[in-house]
Amino acid sequence: MSTPTLLKDQAEKAAPLRPTMRQRLRPTFNGWLMAPGILLLGVLSLFPLVTLIAMSFSRVRLLGGVRLEWVGLNNWARALGDPDLWQGWLLTIVYFIVTLGVEMVLGLSIAILLSKITRGQGPMMVLVLLPMFVAPSIVGLVGRYLTDPTFGLYASIMQRLGFSEDILGNPATAFAAVTLMDVWEWTPLIVLISLAGLSGVNPSMIEAASLDGAGQWKMLRHIILPSITGILLVALLIRSMDAVRYFDIITVTTNGGPADSTKIVPLRLYEAGFRFFDLGYAAVIGLMMLVLTIVIARLFVRMLSGKGKTS
Amino acid sequence: MTASTQTIRTGVRPGQQRTNTKRTLVRAGAVVSGAAIILWTVVPLVWMLLGSFKSATDVTSPTPKFLFAPTFDNYVALFTGANNLTPYLLHSIVAAVGSAIIATVLGALGGYGLSRTKMKGKASLSFWFISTRMAPIAAVVLPLFLMFRIAGLIDTLPGLILAYLSFNLPFAIWIMSAFFDGIPPSLEESAKVAGCTPWQAFWYVALPLTKAGLVTTAVLCLVFAWNDYAFATVISGPNSQTLPIAATQLVTQTGVDWGQLTAIGTIVVLPMILAGIAVRRWLVTGLTLGAVSGE
Repeated sequence: MSTPTLLKDQAEKAAPLRPTMRQRLRPTFNGWLMAPGILLLGVLSLFPLVTLIAMSFSRVRLLGGVRLEWVGLNNWARALGDPDLWQGWLLTIVYFIVTLGVEMVLGLSIAILLSKITRGQGPMMVLVLLPMFVAPSIVGLVGRYLTDPTFGLYASIMQRLGFSEDILGNPATAFAAVTLMDVWEWTPLIVLISLAGLSGVNPSMIEAASLDGAGQWKMLRHIILPSITGILLVALLIRSMDAVRYFDIITVTTNGGPADSTKIVPLRLYEAGFRFFDLGYAAVIGLMMLVLTIVIARLFVRMLSGKGKTS
Repeated sequence: MTASTQTIRTGVRPGQQRTNTKRTLVRAGAVVSGAAIILWTVVPLVWMLLGSFKSATDVTSPTPKFLFAPTFDNYVALFTGANNLTPYLLHSIVAAVGSAIIATVLGALGGYGLSRTKMKGKASLSFWFISTRMAPIAAVVLPLFLMFRIAGLIDTLPGLILAYLSFNLPFAIWIMSAFFDGIPPSLEESAKVAGCTPWQAFWYVALPLTKAGLVTTAVLCLVFAWNDYAFATVISGPNSQTLPIAATQLVTQTGVDWGQLTAIGTIVVLPMILAGIAVRRWLVTGLTLGAVSGE
């Protein structure tokens, strides 16, 4: 009893699966779902980007209403010719390499250790993860409390060991201290990611290798590390983008001092922008940092799409 | 099969004694390093917690005090003293919870759209989301400061919520799309064939399957916003300052009230630790932006 009308009904119901020309021109259902988010993000992302670029070519006046006065390449010339800023970049690179290097090595080692634990792995994992949830500014403040020369717990241990200098008052030790605070907070993230990677290593490969007489080191070097390289790279890229993002720990501990020994680039931006209100100059620094992040993000996205989602 | 395992077993036997001592040594080494790791992560937190219950003399005692008469004075002073913590606490809750809710709702909608769309610009759109999420706070706060100043949003809670959305919204869209990617579209397709509208397929089929993803997204957004200091230090003022700002304000030229400071630290840290642990199964997915899945 299939009448033509019924067939037409079925065709209409099936239509959403095969988009017609008219539907292709109209915003799709998925498009409608994304629209509110994209609109709001446009205001919070693209608009600031244009503003930031405009600021970098202007002198920004705040008193008597916000005004941008065009100054051409003035800010850029000042920034590119500022030896202090280049010094800051150099310090930033050293800070990145040291913190990320220590975090990767330590994080992977702890993850390997945890993966071998048979009893109590869950509770131990929870304890190891705790620092990640602590506000970086609180990490810095507690770090100050621990390293205070007169009553700091860690300072008093150091004094027992014969080191009696003010840890945050001395350029070399201050740099080491803020680095270690960053390591304390973010190594757990590397542990978490590495552990996910380790649990994904094919157990039959490990078994086969151990039957072939491979020792622990050879196993790590030739079986485990190669199979989690992708995941370690993800961890490294995420941490490096975060490292450009966060600077709260240094701000509340040394605020760049002593003698600029911990003044990484974001601190210089804050100083230029919100202490001297030289917002145009700060915008140049901001754009430099943004370019760095975009390069890393590009690598990250390429990794995701190239290899498929690693599991 | 049995023969081959037999030979391996017997092959090990001559060195059995040495392997056993070696194994004990390795195990002892593992226990010692495990203890060292736990001490390294836990001591600062425990010391902060203990400090918050110490009297003014105990908290800055030159010889560290492990045994002391506990007192609630610091917490009482924070909520009854001249500089009351309550408004800071309320600002923190409104800003963090507000931005987390808005980000999660828009993130669930947008993430589903992003996951299911076949449009041409999908890759560029994804890249835009991730680079916005990862953009350095220092670079974002400059133009936001200017825009908010023009719009009159400096020192307001809506301003703070918007600032937090600048990183939470792209995060939520991106991560929810990763969670939706894990749900086969065939489920919604069959629902649509059975007569569901696209919205019903999303609302009744896809969304309930990603409850864990929703909760994880909301919790992480909450943690990111709650823990912020860099935005708040520029954008907030007396009417909108948050807990991390209150903590740093205790650091003054004349000295630091470490008892109160460790108490604020405890108030800031404890809820986030509990929230984080509650979603720890999905943390890997959340914190690697979906690049690594834990399960």
